[in-house]
Amino acid sequence: MPADPVQSMTRGHPTSDAQMAALRRSLGLDKPIWLRFIDFVNDALHGRLGQSWQFQQSVASLIGSRLGPTVLLMGTATLISVTLGLWLGVRSGWRHGSLFDRAASGVSLTLWSMPTFWLGMILLVTFSVGLGPIPSILPANGMSDPSISGALPHTLDVVRHLVLPSMTMVLVVFAQYVTIMRSSIIDELGSPYLLTARAKGLTDADVRRKHAVPNALLPTVTVIFLHIGGIIGGAITVETVYSWPGLGYLTYQALKVPDLPLLQGTFIIFSSSVILMNLVADVLYRILDPRVRAQ
Amino acid sequence: MRVGTGTRPTRPGLRRRLAAAVLGCGVAAAIVSIPTPSVGASSGSTFTIAMDDSGIDTLNPFLSYFEGGLKTFALIYPTLNILDEDNKPGPYLATSWTTSPDQLTWTYKIQSGLKWSDGQPITAEDAAWTFNLIMTNNIAATANGALVANVASVTAPDATTLVIKTKQPQANMLYISVPHWGIPIVPKHIWESHVAGLKDYKNDTFPVVGYGPYTLVNYTTDQYEKFAVNKDFKLGGKSPTFDNLVVQEFKNSDAAVAALKSNQLAYYDGLNSNQFNALKNDSSLRTFQELGTGWTAVEINAGAKTRTGKPIGTGNPALANDQVREAISYAIDKKKITANVLGGLGVSGEGYLPPGYPQWQWHPSADEAVSYNPAKANSLLDSAGYAKGPDGVRIDPRTHKPLSIRLGIHSDSSRDAQISALLQGWLKDVGIDLKLDTLSMSKLNDNLAKGDWDMLMDSWPTGPDPTYLLSIQTCGTLPKDDGTGGNTDAFVCDPNYDKLFAQQVNTFDATQRAQLVGQMQDILYKANRDLILYYPNGLVAYRKDALTGITSGKADANGFYPSKPYFWFVMDAAPLSQKASSSHRTTYLVAGAVVVVLIAAGAVLLLRRRSTADERE
Repeated sequence: MPADPVQSMTRGHPTSDAQMAALRRSLGLDKPIWLRFIDFVNDALHGRLGQSWQFQQSVASLIGSRLGPTVLLMGTATLISVTLGLWLGVRSGWRHGSLFDRAASGVSLTLWSMPTFWLGMILLVTFSVGLGPIPSILPANGMSDPSISGALPHTLDVVRHLVLPSMTMVLVVFAQYVTIMRSSIIDELGSPYLLTARAKGLTDADVRRKHAVPNALLPTVTVIFLHIGGIIGGAITVETVYSWPGLGYLTYQALKVPDLPLLQGTFIIFSSSVILMNLVADVLYRILDPRVRAQ
Repeated sequence: MRVGTGTRPTRPGLRRRLAAAVLGCGVAAAIVSIPTPSVGASSGSTFTIAMDDSGIDTLNPFLSYFEGGLKTFALIYPTLNILDEDNKPGPYLATSWTTSPDQLTWTYKIQSGLKWSDGQPITAEDAAWTFNLIMTNNIAATANGALVANVASVTAPDATTLVIKTKQPQANMLYISVPHWGIPIVPKHIWESHVAGLKDYKNDTFPVVGYGPYTLVNYTTDQYEKFAVNKDFKLGGKSPTFDNLVVQEFKNSDAAVAALKSNQLAYYDGLNSNQFNALKNDSSLRTFQELGTGWTAVEINAGAKTRTGKPIGTGNPALANDQVREAISYAIDKKKITANVLGGLGVSGEGYLPPGYPQWQWHPSADEAVSYNPAKANSLLDSAGYAKGPDGVRIDPRTHKPLSIRLGIHSDSSRDAQISALLQGWLKDVGIDLKLDTLSMSKLNDNLAKGDWDMLMDSWPTGPDPTYLLSIQTCGTLPKDDGTGGNTDAFVCDPNYDKLFAQQVNTFDATQRAQLVGQMQDILYKANRDLILYYPNGLVAYRKDALTGITSGKADANGFYPSKPYFWFVMDAAPLSQKASSSHRTTYLVAGAVVVVLIAAGAVLLLRRRSTADERE
């Protein structure tokens, strides 16, 4: 136990010794640490994630309520960054050394090197506050606005709130797909099967799309699924900058107290999603690459 | 090698791409052309403010500790007393009150004719039931049990009379049920069915039945609260004027400032110095400062002990020397810290209680006031026997080792980093080597409780009744021998202080009580164990085109306004105009149109290039 969560929670609030002792009892902090560990393992094996100390409700329900926003944000960002990254990577690799390649690689690597928090603030100031000729066109925080009602306006409002956080995520992460896809394509460029395809009379675009890309895609699949595994974990910095109500921020809140049951619960979910996605990537690899099946 | 056959993309393929481009443009147009909802954008006038950054832990008022929750209850549940705009108790549910000659029985007259938001009458029985539940149910006592520790019984002889009997006379009884800082009264007819499952009851059936200037009609976790005005509410001749109140959660203050500048927020009181200075020349905003209700201090461990006097921890014994602590106090330039760290947006530290509550303010007399004087600090250390070594660091006469002191600072506080850099320089000048321990808040608190520290940075807020903040310097807050039960601030244990603390608790005359509290602050000041560095001002900005009535009272010579209770700030805020939103809407539409045109032009250009790609190749 790194600190006393009861003191953290009650700080500044008139709290007697008896109240603090009662709170420690109700949180199970009066038990020896080994007994608390056994209780935790037992509960975890039975699918019970326990009770959050600070929110005084079940960890499972807290995680459940934050899962949707996180999947929406990270799913959107991943989808866009994968699509954009692969598209740029294919074209950069296919014409490596060209102006397009140099520009795409340079821009993506520059964005990849930027601190997410800083980039988020810059985008926030630019598009939410407005900068120079750019007016304020996007909201600064949250996932929806309480003053907007109706299914369609609400959906559009959520999409609107999604733009800045997902754009930040995309700009920071798409470079990894560009670089890996670009190098994969370059590896394939000298392959004899491409010469055969061209000899058959296929257009350059068809050679690229139907022959080079499927083969170059294999190493990228691993990266994509590893990234998807991290989706559930959310992005603490992006969720904090834009006040996005997701799992990343929940973890940050849990760390501040520290709310150990909540931390344990979120870590279980994060690690499970990474393990699961690794498994999916392995299975998919077998489907995509006949050589793996043959081994 | 590039080989092309000259085959053009098929027409259906082109059409699909064109359709996709048009659809994309349509969605973008729809998204961008929704105006950013601004102040007053929903039906009726809406007051949009930011939630306290601690957020809401639970909407159950018996369990909640977090500021976001406490401020919510201040608006939706009544209390026996209100804090007036000077932070002094006044009538709310209780219109008047009397005390018995032995000062043990308080009889409150409860206002008649009031109704909960579901139409049921509010009676003294609701108040009696709430108090009794907290007194008899451990779960219900979670948040506010300490406030009724001295209460013997609470009864409601009739619908408009509430009788509270205390075990000992208690001078701060009028503070125990006030908005934000005290016990909210809940409707018995709603809550009595939830007593059995109180621990798990979330109180999230909307609208939440209550009584106050606003009714909570929606709460989306980690996002916002939405309140509707209670048109029948009136207190002190005032009624809330906004039709809706929206409290938005912001997880970083820069985003809140962005929202304020872009008219998505009307008011924000969580500014830091840099933000305040950046906004003060913004023509659309008005900024002002409120006197602080908390302090930042350097605490000195002069010998950590348990309640039985058993020494604990690893504090440097040199700090037990009064002269060493006094020397440290003389070595610190509090005015420079206030100027450099706060940018002058605060008041330099003196007494233990902050200037936001002038009724408790105390100043040291001229002959005991300590101001920056390194020569005096050096002289005190010389006379205490701490001679300077060859490297300029003083040598402890008992251990013959250099006088090296640890300073614990919060790893997430830029102010602590700034202050500690200044302290290192000043203490070096007087021959003290200050080593920094940069730790998380929880680790610092952990070290504090165990006495494993020499000096550390600390901050405390307080409500208008100082009893709790004063109590953390009493002997009763030292830890037990087994390490449990401690809630001390700096291991202060002075019988004279404790005696005055007990006296002020049952001194009913406000002036006399303030004098006793002043004597307690004098003891703490001379003890040099809590060196109060400054009281940061509350830094506020609001939109001039949306609000009026925010400030009240008279600013002092420095232009600092009195601290205003949260309840009254919400009550006093009034809508000014809604012109801003329509002008912004036009801007958004124009901007949206420009973006759509650009996207469409880009898409067409791209498609044209793609359609001729093979020829070019």
